Amino acid sequence: MGFTLAEKMLASHTNDGKAAAGEIVQARVDLLMVHEVLGSRILPILDEMGFKKVWNPNRVLVVNDHWAPASDINSAEIHRRNRNFVKQQGIKNFCDVDCGISHQVLPEMGLVVPGATIIGSDSHSTTYGAFNAFSTGLAATDSALILATGECWFRVPESLKIKITGDLGPRVMSKDLILNIINELGPDGANYQSMEFHGPTIDAMSVGERMTMCNMAVEAGAKCAPMPLNQDVKFWMEDNAPKKKWREVKSDDDAEYVESLHFNLDKEPLEPTVAPPDLPTNGKPVAEVAGVPIDQAFLGSCTNGRIGDLLVAAEILKGKKVHDGVRLIITPASKKTYMEALERGIIKILMDAGGIVTNSTCGACVGGHLGVLGAGEVCISSSNRNFRGRMGHQDSRIYLASPATIAASALKGVITDPRSV
Amino acid sequence: MGKKLTNITGRAWVFGKNINTDMIIQGQYLTLLDYKEMAKHAFEVPRPVFATKVKKDDIIVAGSNFGGGSSREEAPKVLMHSGVGCVVAESFARIFYRNSFNIGLPLLIIPNISKLVKDGETVTVNLLEGTLQIKEKGDVIHGQPLSERMLEMLKAGGAVPWFKKNKK
Repeated sequence: MGFTLAEKMLASHTNDGKAAAGEIVQARVDLLMVHEVLGSRILPILDEMGFKKVWNPNRVLVVNDHWAPASDINSAEIHRRNRNFVKQQGIKNFCDVDCGISHQVLPEMGLVVPGATIIGSDSHSTTYGAFNAFSTGLAATDSALILATGECWFRVPESLKIKITGDLGPRVMSKDLILNIINELGPDGANYQSMEFHGPTIDAMSVGERMTMCNMAVEAGAKCAPMPLNQDVKFWMEDNAPKKKWREVKSDDDAEYVESLHFNLDKEPLEPTVAPPDLPTNGKPVAEVAGVPIDQAFLGSCTNGRIGDLLVAAEILKGKKVHDGVRLIITPASKKTYMEALERGIIKILMDAGGIVTNSTCGACVGGHLGVLGAGEVCISSSNRNFRGRMGHQDSRIYLASPATIAASALKGVITDPRSV
Repeated sequence: MGKKLTNITGRAWVFGKNINTDMIIQGQYLTLLDYKEMAKHAFEVPRPVFATKVKKDDIIVAGSNFGGGSSREEAPKVLMHSGVGCVVAESFARIFYRNSFNIGLPLLIIPNISKLVKDGETVTVNLLEGTLQIKEKGDVIHGQPLSERMLEMLKAGGAVPWFKKNKK
């Protein structure tokens, strides 16, 4: 019997080289990413443990991204603690408040390669599956134990195979696809499972488009979301991790899956999709919610704040003006993304259209700063969660959509089909 | 020392399905460095009275997929600091499940439980047996017994004491 991507990726990191679905294994962690949770929650746990030295300072990335630059005194204190820890432990991979969002900067720094095991103190750490890697989110205690030992126990997940064929269509994005997939699965439809993506549609996607999909797999409960290697990932490795050694991981033809789903986009063309409050799995065709008035449009986050996302928005907004009374907030996913958008004239187009461009941070997506919502306000957002109160006041409302739908809606002041503008 | 594993008796706070970690503790409170302060905002959105009315050993009873969303360990932590004795749900999201045992907060999976227990009823949980008893009615409802690993972690008081005991 063959093995799935998750089984193979975990097996290569265990002492006996084995990992089959359902087993509990102890596996080596190639890289641990921690953000503000380090300063606020992990350091007190390390004190309790009597911790002295990180197992390998080269295998840790520390990022100050959620409230960057500090939004209040507490976040300033957390950042200060992180800076001290990094210095004390000799950790070179450190992104302070000027870098951007962890899930974007980690790959930009060449810290993910195919076949790697990557753990992040953040649920959206499933994002690195786009690079043919095993990655998942854990929290403070597990991160503390990994910092001390470089290892972690895992229950090897069963895998769900999702095959996608056909084209996305004009102004339909990978965000629309993943909103449809998680709608089909429901909020716990992939709980504890590895969401393994396959098919020519996935193979043809850019790294950014793939990251959007793996990022949101966790909204259906998935533990990880590994994809097969493709050409764009190979190019990414040449550009961003030229000196790293790695080997492609392929699933076996006779690997065992709990279920196999097939989305044939030629047979059933995909519509631009919007997820109304309060669950990311609420996705429905944009036509069903078109016309809902909005106060804010947010283009950013680890889901959809990348160069391709900003470019799509700029194409729609070029030479036009955002609707009166609508705030369009653009938060590029990283400084690198921001700089590239500047050089390509994208930032100018977005600002000419009336957009507010912020520094790179999680910012509004977590209701942290730079676009927090007030009572009764409605936001259409390119981020990943529309839980009640997520972006601010508990009586604000969040609709999730693609960057194209965000831009079109900002233009019209109401939720709008991007193909109509 | 870990929490007690048998005879956890308290009032039930009954919730529906898909109670995510944002609903347990909102993102705006995550920069608070003191868990006691943070616990004042537990369940602020779905049950605003919870933080002031909760008593030691009260039991959370919920539908499926309890604790989905963000990986924040602050979610089980604020429940622990509120005095919650156990969370019994029809299913749990993966990271929440792991986080809870890591910090020593007991969880129990019992199918259909959110329909069997009424809000405010006194219930008794036995983790060794994997059961919940509704005091007034006396019904004993059976769930999934915990694995050895999880029981050991609870007995130790969480992953850190367990680690300290088992290293070397």
